Amino acid sequence: MKPAPFDYIRATSIDHACALLAEAGGGAQLLAGGQTLMPLLALRMSQPFILIDIGHLPELQGIAPHGGGLRIGAATRQADALVNPLLAQALPVFVTALAHVGHHQTRNRGTIGGSIALGEPAAEMPATAVALGASMTLRSTRGARTIAADDLYLGPYATAIAPDELLVAIDYPAWPADAVPLFREVARRPGDFALVGLVGALAIADGRIERAGIAWFGMGPTPIRARQAEQALVGQAIDRIDVQAIADLAIADSAPFDDGHASAAYRRSVGRRIFANGLMQALDRRLAA
Amino acid sequence: MSAPPISAQRFIGQRVPRKEDGRLLTGRGSFVDDIILPGMLHAAFVRSPIARGTIRSIDTDVARAQPGVHAVLTQADLAPFGVTMLSFFLGPVEVAMTPLADGRVAYVGHPVALVIADDRYLAEDAASLVVVDYAEEAAVVTLDDARLGPRVHPDTDDNVAALMGEEEADAALEALLAGAPHLVSQSIRHQRIAQSPMETRGVVASLQGESELLVHITCAGPQLVARWLTLALDRPGLSVRVVAKDVGGSFGLKNHPWMEEVSAILAAMLLRRPVKWIEDRIENLTAANQAREQEMTLRAAFDTNGRLIASHADYALNNGAYPMGADANIAVHMFLWAAYNIPAYSFVSRGWYSNTPGLAAYRGPWAIETLARETLLDRAARQIGIDPVEIRRRNLCTAADQPSVTPLGIPREDITPAQCLEKLLEVVDVPAFRAEQAAARAQGRYLGLGLAAYIEPTGAAGSIAVMTGELAQLRIEPTGRVVAVMSVHSQGHGTQTTMAQCIADQLGVPIEDVTIFDGDSSRGGFGPGAGGSRQGVIGGGAAIRAGRLLADKVKAVAAHLLNASPEAISLSDGMVHVAGAPEMRRTLREIAEIAYGEPGRLPPGMETGLEAQYRYDPPPMTFTSAAHACIVEVDADTGFVGIRRWVSSEDCGVMINPAVVEGQIAGGLAQAIGSVLLEDAARDAQGNPTAATFKDYALPTIFDVPDFEYVHADTPSQAEGGFRGVGEGGCIIGPPTLVNAIADALAPFGEVPVDLPLTPAKLMTVIEGQPWPERPVSRFHPDHRAPEVDAPAPVAPAVAAVAPAIAVGIDGAWKLVLATPMGPQPMVAHFQVAGDRVTGRLEADQGSQEFTGTLSGDQVRWEMKVTKPMAITLKYELTFAGSSVSGKCKMGLFGTAKVRGERA
Ligand SMILES: Cc1cc2nc3c(=O)[nH]c(=O)nc-3n(C[C@H](O)[C@H](O)[C@H](O)COP(=O)(O)OP(=O)(O)OC[C@H]3O[C@@H](n4cnc5c(N)ncnc54)[C@H](O)[C@@H]3O)c2cc1C
Repeated sequence: MKPAPFDYIRATSIDHACALLAEAGGGAQLLAGGQTLMPLLALRMSQPFILIDIGHLPELQGIAPHGGGLRIGAATRQADALVNPLLAQALPVFVTALAHVGHHQTRNRGTIGGSIALGEPAAEMPATAVALGASMTLRSTRGARTIAADDLYLGPYATAIAPDELLVAIDYPAWPADAVPLFREVARRPGDFALVGLVGALAIADGRIERAGIAWFGMGPTPIRARQAEQALVGQAIDRIDVQAIADLAIADSAPFDDGHASAAYRRSVGRRIFANGLMQALDRRLAA
Repeated sequence: MSAPPISAQRFIGQRVPRKEDGRLLTGRGSFVDDIILPGMLHAAFVRSPIARGTIRSIDTDVARAQPGVHAVLTQADLAPFGVTMLSFFLGPVEVAMTPLADGRVAYVGHPVALVIADDRYLAEDAASLVVVDYAEEAAVVTLDDARLGPRVHPDTDDNVAALMGEEEADAALEALLAGAPHLVSQSIRHQRIAQSPMETRGVVASLQGESELLVHITCAGPQLVARWLTLALDRPGLSVRVVAKDVGGSFGLKNHPWMEEVSAILAAMLLRRPVKWIEDRIENLTAANQAREQEMTLRAAFDTNGRLIASHADYALNNGAYPMGADANIAVHMFLWAAYNIPAYSFVSRGWYSNTPGLAAYRGPWAIETLARETLLDRAARQIGIDPVEIRRRNLCTAADQPSVTPLGIPREDITPAQCLEKLLEVVDVPAFRAEQAAARAQGRYLGLGLAAYIEPTGAAGSIAVMTGELAQLRIEPTGRVVAVMSVHSQGHGTQTTMAQCIADQLGVPIEDVTIFDGDSSRGGFGPGAGGSRQGVIGGGAAIRAGRLLADKVKAVAAHLLNASPEAISLSDGMVHVAGAPEMRRTLREIAEIAYGEPGRLPPGMETGLEAQYRYDPPPMTFTSAAHACIVEVDADTGFVGIRRWVSSEDCGVMINPAVVEGQIAGGLAQAIGSVLLEDAARDAQGNPTAATFKDYALPTIFDVPDFEYVHADTPSQAEGGFRGVGEGGCIIGPPTLVNAIADALAPFGEVPVDLPLTPAKLMTVIEGQPWPERPVSRFHPDHRAPEVDAPAPVAPAVAAVAPAIAVGIDGAWKLVLATPMGPQPMVAHFQVAGDRVTGRLEADQGSQEFTGTLSGDQVRWEMKVTKPMAITLKYELTFAGSSVSGKCKMGLFGTAKVRGERA
């Protein structure tokens, strides 16, 4: 299929893009890597009047230390983030998750911000942002604001980003260099969206869990924080954890549904298994170290 | 003809690199979409969004008025051509059928109108503005629906498209089954498959003056398409030329034109401008003909030694609304037990009409027989308590069992499935695997071994009238180069290489000196081309025999020129040699120049030139045999199947090119893996496609397909060259091999139903001891319960309020059409104005919903949240003017849709 007619404008700055958004009054779409938007245009599932290209804007690129953590520019290409040494060192679980986003070809163009702004419930990047406690900087002609990843996702493809707002950057708080990474994903084929997946990190000090951040993807209408599991883990000695009980708590927070690829029952059952196995292996590895 | 003459075979049997690959791999192929003709227009279809119903009206006015639009055609415009839609067998299709829908629509995707515009973008813009009013009826989607529901076609007695076999149980056979020591029954279900060629369907049609219609079309055989079109169009004085240079796969879908291609061709004739239609991927996955969707219950009786006594099959095949030939798939029964020894077999076979895309062929159209039989044999082995290898050894047809004839009359003289199995077992150490399997199970890892054996009929000509012999037309040009025009035609099969190998051997020339032309019905001879694993056998035979004729002529000319006897002449390295006189050798070019240009130097009466042709008709049936083994590991935590090893042991006779043979097997196996694990062209209860893109129609990728191992036997066939076909085999034997491996892996948990695809979610039910997911009960079954629908809200009581003049004009019911990306959606809106507040209700097919909004001037605005297809907020903004209304609806990520309407 071919897209419906639209105007294309290559924004020259964030301000320019915001002005264009304001002017379009909801009739515009931002174009970042285009890996989701282009198919939607071709399917005529998205019919904006104006396409505002922001993928090339230097202000939206780059990964740098910021407030103790890391700031990722929204239009940073996924392929660039995948080989970024700062990320590899500070947030290894982010890199693991990113390696599961699509394929080499889609990561070459797809952006971190595009994936986060899209809000696909089975996507890796939104859940990673929730799990790690990221916050998003949004800009519009009305000004700038910051929103926590926890508050960003409202439903499938529905976010708190207003139609006139642009996602500028994502801030990831610092996690200890030796935080235990958690990542498991089950997908029909490598590179597919997850049937069920979990991502997170555990900060450990003196053999006890100090801080836990864990989120599901593909397990409900949005990325879902495994809040009860996190709370139960914090303060526990890592050699005493009942992984099955924690997995049950994690499942209790999920809200999976049936679709053509798997049933909700499958997602719940397999989610419990990969959560328990993932947690056990991560802790065993730490205990052995 | 006698054995090959002096020139030794050099290229047949070699892994000659494919001549076509350089062009294809560097993007320099020539496919239909590469064809650009001066003045060419572009077509886009308006397709039915409902599966069953009547068309009340088609409003093309707005679409026709769009910029760049040349025509909006409906069946009323095409009817004067009087086209007869033909089946694969070239007879009129069994039900009333027109290129565009004629009053009724019979599946979601049914072409209703055709927009012709300057480019495809404009054509699609206008297509979305064609408004069709349908009266929807309950759709007949599944085989159960077809059995229980109303008729798909009003002019048929019932939904049975085709019936074969014995409807009444054969008492003698039933007695054999009932009295046997072991009776094993297997009910299987194969999902609907989309053939998914890399190049979708497409056509560029143009009239060349009054008497020639030039059709560029992606197809399996240009000659067959020309034949089909000539008969379907039936216009005296019009000759049809069909061209298809490169074709990106067919797999049965492109055997002959169908509604869309015919409509585009008629549009070109009507407008007298070239018209291009390229099917997009959504059209291909949702509206193109499809395949499989079958159910079979196979019963087999065994004696105490596990030897077959008798068998019966009850088989059903979904034909869709307009099959490319109504079909009960007789080949399924002809070959079901043909590789085995069985005294008695009978069957009943029904094809059913439904409101889904029509049935087309798919690589090995009868493959369900091997799936049913080989999975039944494994089940029997478990039930009787013998080894899966042993049950096959006891029942396979061996050399000692031949010649013989099967209960359905198939003669067997040289089939080798038993040898293939033994060769396989030399490579696959079954006892060692069983030990590994036991050790793995002890650690909670589930390995499984699957085996299957089969035979396949290949290279048929003459058994059905459409499948004729094939012609090779050869010449050595005055330059010395060899040019062959073949009636066989590649859709990726590598025939430009394999045919050149056959010819080069006969003429003793380097392979680089042989050029194969194909893909143009105006060149060379007649032949149907690809289908039924026939091109290697028939095209190869024609190429060899034409080559031999031409070699004989070269020798006759050379003998005359060089004063030698023809027996003393040999051809090699592009030269003509005289035995014992090396100094007398001549290049082929020297001989050719004389043969064409100096008639006086030829033997008296000899035709000038170096040209020859041969039309080859092979023996009626040439069988290929094979046995495969596959080893999998099923992850008991996720239900995922990992393929560890796959060995193919096949006997396709003399191999022209082992690399091409292995490529054919691998491609078929990739499709088999897709069928067993991934692909599903399912439709929902309303007949809507559920897999419209490659995100949801999950084809196997390189990650899902292992490196296969190959073992070859080479029992020469009785066809010229000793070749046997190999095009479909992997797709036939692959599915049961993999299913059996999965069943073996999960045997500790219980039986795995053969209900494809075996998704992780389904396999997990076996692992967890849960019931296998049930298929929804047919809506026409008494037990069917309608899904809960929100009850329509009660109509608000009329409020006798005094409202501003404009508002009075708004109160009440309005018919609206929302132009959504998935096509126009009709709705009825009820408005009630009180001051600047508007309350109302919107009714659509999916249900009704209330809203509250605001009025300002003549504009009404409101918002409403919907949850399907996903949670979005719809923002309506309508402007009222007299008895009409227009405006828009913002649909979140889905963009903005136009709304038009009038008083109800
Ligand atoms: C074959 C294939 C496989 C894929 N597999 C996966 C997968 O496994 N997991 C996964 O997560 N994704 C997957 N994707 C999606 C891919 O990761 C996309 O790149 C990503 O989801 C969107 O990023 P983008 O930069 O391409 O955004 P675009 O497509 O350009 O935009 C997507 C949406 O986000 C909006 N947007 C973009 N940038 C901003 C911004 N800065 N501020 C506000 N709004 C913005 C756009 O307006 C648009 O609505 C796959 C895609 C393909 C084609």
